[in-house]
Amino acid sequence: MSNLKFFLHLFMLLLLQLAILDNIQLHSYVYINVYILAIYILPYRLRDATILLFGFLVGLFMDFANNTMGIHAAATTLLAYMRPRLLILTSNREQIDDIQGKQRISDFGWFFKYVLVSTFIFNIVLIFCEAFSFHNFLITLLRILCSTLASVFFILLYYFIALKQRQN
Amino acid sequence: MKEIIKLILKYHFTIIFVLLEFLSFSLIVLHNNYQRTVFSGYTASFLSGISSTVSDIDDYFYLRETNENLVEENTKLRNQIEELKTLCRWYAMDTLWNPVDSMEVNYVFKNADIVNAGVNKTKNYMTIDKGAADGVQPEMAVCSSDGVIGVVEKVSRHYAKVLPLINTNLRISAKIKKNGYYGSLQWDGEDYRYSYLNDIPFHVSAEIGDTIVTSGFSSIFPENELIGFVESVNRETANFLTIKVKLATDFKRISDIYVIAHTRRQEKQQLENEL
Repeated sequence: MSNLKFFLHLFMLLLLQLAILDNIQLHSYVYINVYILAIYILPYRLRDATILLFGFLVGLFMDFANNTMGIHAAATTLLAYMRPRLLILTSNREQIDDIQGKQRISDFGWFFKYVLVSTFIFNIVLIFCEAFSFHNFLITLLRILCSTLASVFFILLYYFIALKQRQN
Repeated sequence: MKEIIKLILKYHFTIIFVLLEFLSFSLIVLHNNYQRTVFSGYTASFLSGISSTVSDIDDYFYLRETNENLVEENTKLRNQIEELKTLCRWYAMDTLWNPVDSMEVNYVFKNADIVNAGVNKTKNYMTIDKGAADGVQPEMAVCSSDGVIGVVEKVSRHYAKVLPLINTNLRISAKIKKNGYYGSLQWDGEDYRYSYLNDIPFHVSAEIGDTIVTSGFSSIFPENELIGFVESVNRETANFLTIKVKLATDFKRISDIYVIAHTRRQEKQQLENEL
């Protein structure tokens, strides 16, 4: 995937997030965040501080748009920090090469695992930063789980519609 | 230095991550009302806990200063009491009997510090840091806020030598506060906590715990300065009681004291010596 294509997707994802998903009010239990897919599909060779900076800036951009100073930035920075480790943990070398959307349907398993764990981490930080206390811990946990499931669903949807190359 | 740079380079990813997270959290706390309220609630309770502990510890360092201030204030107050006493007497007095200097006070208090003291001998002495330059003269009384300490024996320019109650050479006139019978108080040279009141007639009832104060006859001490409390009563000779007195002053831990000058002593002695 070329750089141009990546930035096109980034733009699309942010637009989708801001124009549609942020306007869906699904109770405070469900937050749908698809834009984090932009961090998931960064090229594997990006492993240095650039990825951290990228994560931070994307999060900060969302914060500016949602008026939630720092909350998204904290979550996306952690996501960017965890990404190289998660990739090594959940996949092998060949699959990492496939991250840009070329893998076959049989490799769906590891990608799902990777997205699920990443999104879960993201939502833990996001929702704890928003709740900012350990009161009603179970409710906070429920919000994390609901948000994770909804986000993962939409991320996979976008992935299969727009990103994954059709296999012949 | 090289090692540090190496270390930073090795962990730069994590370091940058921590810095960015720190930045994010400071943004959260600074720009979100709810989070700022929660955070300032936590920090306020935490910091106030710390600051109260610090000020508790800090107070100990100022104890000495506080103590000195209190002693100074005490002296001032006692001087005021003397002035008021004189004033009261003046108002109550028949104007025909009004002496010229009736507005002057009887006793003047001046605070001082003990710079040297002994308790182990039978003839103990103390040194205080006020001398002739400060108006201290021989035969002035020395007291602490606990009770009587002794009498000034000699003065130099800046120091004075005090004969404390725990010196066998000192005899002072003392009385039992509740019935006014007086005798002389003298130390036996043994335990620095106890002294003996002699020459009290045997029919006088003195019970354990009774207060012993100065009689005011000697023109050294003001009347009713606390000396101590009755510890035990013995009838050693046929006619007189020997009362063991627990001294109110602990001679091992006094530090702030005051000297009491009797402003009309000379006049009184002159009158007494005339014959």
